[in-house]
Amino acid sequence: MSEKEKKFVPEPGTCTPWKVKMEELGGIPGNEEIVKKDWERLDETAYNFLWFWVHR
Amino acid sequence: MNEKVAKLYQERLNRYMTALDCGKPDKVPVSFGIGDWIVKHTENNFQEIFYDWEKSIKAVDDILPEFDVDVFGGGPTLWWPPMWDAIGSKLYKFPGMGLDENSTFQFVEEEYMKAEDYDAFIANPTEWIATTYLPRISTEFENPSSLRGISALIRSSVAFAEYNNYMGASWGKWTVEHGVVGQFTGMTKAPFDTLGDALRSMKGILLDLRRRPEKVAAACEVIVPHNINYALSGAGADTRFPCFAPLHRGSYPFLNPYQWENYYWPSFKAVIEGLWAKGKRTYFYAEGDWTPYLEKIAELPDKSIVFDIDLTDAKKAKEILGGRFCLIGGMPTTLLTYGTPEKVKEQVKRSIDELAGDGGFILGAGGVVMGDAKKENIMAMLEAAREYGTY
Repeated sequence: MSEKEKKFVPEPGTCTPWKVKMEELGGIPGNEEIVKKDWERLDETAYNFLWFWVHR
Repeated sequence: MNEKVAKLYQERLNRYMTALDCGKPDKVPVSFGIGDWIVKHTENNFQEIFYDWEKSIKAVDDILPEFDVDVFGGGPTLWWPPMWDAIGSKLYKFPGMGLDENSTFQFVEEEYMKAEDYDAFIANPTEWIATTYLPRISTEFENPSSLRGISALIRSSVAFAEYNNYMGASWGKWTVEHGVVGQFTGMTKAPFDTLGDALRSMKGILLDLRRRPEKVAAACEVIVPHNINYALSGAGADTRFPCFAPLHRGSYPFLNPYQWENYYWPSFKAVIEGLWAKGKRTYFYAEGDWTPYLEKIAELPDKSIVFDIDLTDAKKAKEILGGRFCLIGGMPTTLLTYGTPEKVKEQVKRSIDELAGDGGFILGAGGVVMGDAKKENIMAMLEAAREYGTY
């Protein structure tokens, strides 16, 4: 894990926000909204999966 | 949904919504779920009902036609064990897997979060859960970079998605076929309970209140936005139904008044107010006795909670919270186990007389109905609710 990754603190509801992914990619040739929509939905599911384990 | 079921659904929904807003519906709404007391009335043992989703749904399907409730609390199991088994979770033992096949589940309480973990948790809680907590609570995920660990994570996350799909499909079926109205959408907790239940344990957090209270307060504060977000995300876009909040360590006398006011209440109040700001009401599932804290709870915004009466003094709850918050309860769970149908009916009448008043009241069991509750007592409660519950 890089130092940058270690210091990054995701907002509630996210693990890897789209804006972080976009910074890494430096832009994409296609329509960003199409990709972003599902990225964010699945990222939220990952977040909910993780927090599920402390909400017993 | 056929016309008859649609009409029934609408009547029940109106009754529930009116009471939640402290109004007076045509009848006192009745709320009840099907707990694991149903198992002995099926041909299955606990393991089969817990593990086999089809059998669990069938148990509900078989009883719903005679189960006259306005608000339905759901099926017999809180958890679907395959999801936990898939990652080798240490948190629970389930019937047939660590426990006798005719036993209900057990939580295995340990300090899964160590005292020295506070700083890392506070700095980055989601990261800490993923990289420290999950491997620590999971035998199959102890080594996350191994094939065994990676496959365990995949198995469990698939099971998580399957579980959510099963739940959605079950509720859809019950709604369409039986006109049931669910109690809530989404789930949250008091941050102190998040910390005290699955992370630090009862013993751990009580010692923390003496040895490192500032860490407890800081961790609770960090958890607040997560518990708001988790509730809203789990509910989808729904703000019509309340969000379930099962409450544990805030019950009197786990904490003394100073501890409750300074370490339990501020962060939980922030969660409730944060949800209410988004239009989401909290189902304040006050297991145990909350009588000493009613005045503080009354400081919440009007209608922001529906308060569940378990061992809390019902008359005081009515006096202090009534009119501003919907109350639910009136049937002690012990009476459903140890009482008789006659005693249950007397209690229903007494509760309606004392609590229903001008509305804002839902009849229900105040706490978890245990597996040894008698079906005849439960049916007597539902029958008496209709007999005495007309305004």
